[in-house]
Amino acid sequence: MAVYELLDHTADMGFRVRAASLEELFVQAAEALVSIAVNPLCATPLEMRSLRCSGATLEDRFINWLNEVLWLLDGERFLPALFDDLRLEGDSVSALVWGEPRDDARHPPRIVVKAATFHQLVIREHNGMWEAEVFLDI
Amino acid sequence: MQIEHVDEVRHRIPKSARHGMRTDVLFYASGPILDQVEKDRALEQAMNVACLPGIVGPSLAMPDIHQGYGFPIGGVAAMDWDTGVVSPGGVGYDINCGVRLIRTNLEKDEVRSRLKELVDQVFRDVPCGVGGKGHLDISGKQLDQILEQGAEWMVEHGYGEPSDIEHCEERGCLAAASAAEVSARAKERGRPQIGTLGSGNHFLEIQFVHRVHDEEAARCYGLEEGQVVVLIHSGSRGLGHQVCTDFLAQMGAAMKKYGITLPDRQLACVPIQSPEGQSYLKAMRAAANFAWANRQAMLHFVRGSFQKVFGKRVRLGLIYDVCHNIAKREKYQYNGRSVDVLVHRKGATRAFPPRHPEIPADYRAVGQPVLIPGSMGTASWVLAGCERAMEESFGSVCHGAGRLLSRHAAKHGRDARAVQRELEERGILVRSETRDGILEEVPEAYKDVDEVIEVVHRAGLARKVARLRPMGVIKG
Repeated sequence: MAVYELLDHTADMGFRVRAASLEELFVQAAEALVSIAVNPLCATPLEMRSLRCSGATLEDRFINWLNEVLWLLDGERFLPALFDDLRLEGDSVSALVWGEPRDDARHPPRIVVKAATFHQLVIREHNGMWEAEVFLDI
Repeated sequence: MQIEHVDEVRHRIPKSARHGMRTDVLFYASGPILDQVEKDRALEQAMNVACLPGIVGPSLAMPDIHQGYGFPIGGVAAMDWDTGVVSPGGVGYDINCGVRLIRTNLEKDEVRSRLKELVDQVFRDVPCGVGGKGHLDISGKQLDQILEQGAEWMVEHGYGEPSDIEHCEERGCLAAASAAEVSARAKERGRPQIGTLGSGNHFLEIQFVHRVHDEEAARCYGLEEGQVVVLIHSGSRGLGHQVCTDFLAQMGAAMKKYGITLPDRQLACVPIQSPEGQSYLKAMRAAANFAWANRQAMLHFVRGSFQKVFGKRVRLGLIYDVCHNIAKREKYQYNGRSVDVLVHRKGATRAFPPRHPEIPADYRAVGQPVLIPGSMGTASWVLAGCERAMEESFGSVCHGAGRLLSRHAAKHGRDARAVQRELEERGILVRSETRDGILEEVPEAYKDVDEVIEVVHRAGLARKVARLRPMGVIKG
C-alpha cells in the first residue's frame, strides 16, 4: 500500500514520500505514482517484468525511474502490484516488478499522468531518513 | 515583487528585478486577476523564462497565467531563430493541446429536447481514452504517415471533409515534421489513443451561442445567437507526453555541452540550431500533427453522433482549430526591426489580425478566430485577433480561464454526483469516465473566464466576437 502525501500545485499534482533508504524511497515513489494513476487495490502479482534505467545525477535517475514506471502503466498497459529487488548501482536503477495486465473494469483508472517532472524536485536525506517531493504533469 | 503598472491591464517586472534576467516580464491582468496571480509562483516562472538565452522582446504572460512546471501556463516567449534556444518545457508535455470549434445548423431549443440522447451518443462515439484505447486501429506505417501529414491524413482516409483542413491553424499539419525523430515508445504509447479525448482538463462540449458581440466577425465565422456549436479540447495524448519526456531526459547532458545554466531544470533547453534542438523540433512537429489528426478523428465521430440523433439533414462545419501548446517559427516587425523567432506558446493561442496571409481566405477580412474554452459550467469565447497582438505579444493571447485551485483543493469536500446534479439544474448535462474528471474541473477551480477575456479585449490583443454557453459536457 502506497504511503504518500499529496502536494498542492495550481495546475498539476505533487506528492511527498519518505523512506529509511534511498532504494525504499524509489519504491515508495513508484507506488505513489501507480496509486495516483490507477486504483491498484485489486492488482495481483501474476507476472514479472524487469525495469532498468539510468541517469547522470540522482535527480535524473529518480525522474527517469518514475517515467519508466509510467511507461509500464501507460505504454505496456501493465499494472504493478509489487516492486522487488530495487538496486541503485552507479548510474543505473533496476528492479523487478510483479503485477498483471491492466483491466479497466477491475483496475479503474483515476487520471492520466503525463509525466514525472523535474519541477521543484527535492530529494534529501535528513537524520537517516530519505524524503522526496515530485510534481506530476496531469 | 517589483511590479510597474504600465496601464490598467499591462504590468511589467523590469529585468533589473533579479540577477540573470535578460529582459522584462510583461503581463496582462485586471485588478482581481492581479490579486490571484500573485498567490502562486507563476510570475516567478515568467521571470525564469526571461533568463533564457536569445529571448526577443519581453517574457510575456497572459491573464490566464498560472503556475506550470518550468514555464508558467499562459506564457509566451519568442527566441531568436539563429541565436536562441528551444525548450520542450516551453511547449509542454501535451504538444499541440488545442481547441476546435464546430458549427451546426441546429438551434438550441431543438437540441435541448433531445440533449440526453445526444450527449449519451457522443459519449459512446468519442472515447475518452482514460483507459488508453480508441475506436481506430492504425498500423505503425499509418501512424508514421499521420505524424508527417496531420489532419490531412484523416480527411484523405474518410475521416472528414476537405474544408476541415482549410480551417485549421497551419492547415492541420506542420511541415518539416519527422516520424523518424519520434521514439518507438512514443509511437507505442500514442498509437492506440488516436481519436480519443484524454482526461484532465480535456473535454468535448455541446454549446450554444449565448451572445454575439461582433456581428460582422460572427457572420464571417458562421455564428449567430441560439445556434448550437461543439467545442473539442484535446491534444497529442501519450505520444506527445512521451516525446517531451524523451527530449527532456536528453537535454540535461546537452545543456552542459552548450554551457547553459538555468534557475529551473524543467526549463531545460538547447540552441535551436543545435542537432538536439533540430531533432526536438522535428519530433515536436510530428506530435503536433498527431494532435491535429486526433481532433480531426473526433470531429468525424461527432458528425456521426449528430446524424444518428438528428438525421442526415444535420450539418457540422469546422469553424477553426487552434493549438495552444506549441513552438513555431514566425516573423515579426518588432520595435522597428524584422525578427525571425521561434515563438513558444505554453498555454497561449495564436491571434493573427485581419489581412494576415496565414488566415483562411474566408476569414481574412475580420481576423483569425481565437477559441478560448472556459471551465465546465461557465462560458467559452470566440475572439478575433487584432493588430496590436502582432506589435507586442508575438501574435498571441490567452488560452483559457486559467486554474485558480489545485486539483486537490477543487475536490475537497465535494461529491461528484452533487456537482453533476447542480449542473443539470442549470441545464448542463455532464458525462465523465471518472469521478475525478468532474470534481477536479468544477467551475470554481478556474478564474472567471469573462474577466480574462475582458483583459485581452481591453488590451487590444483580440476582440470579442461571441460568448458560448455549455449544454452538454463530455469529460475523461
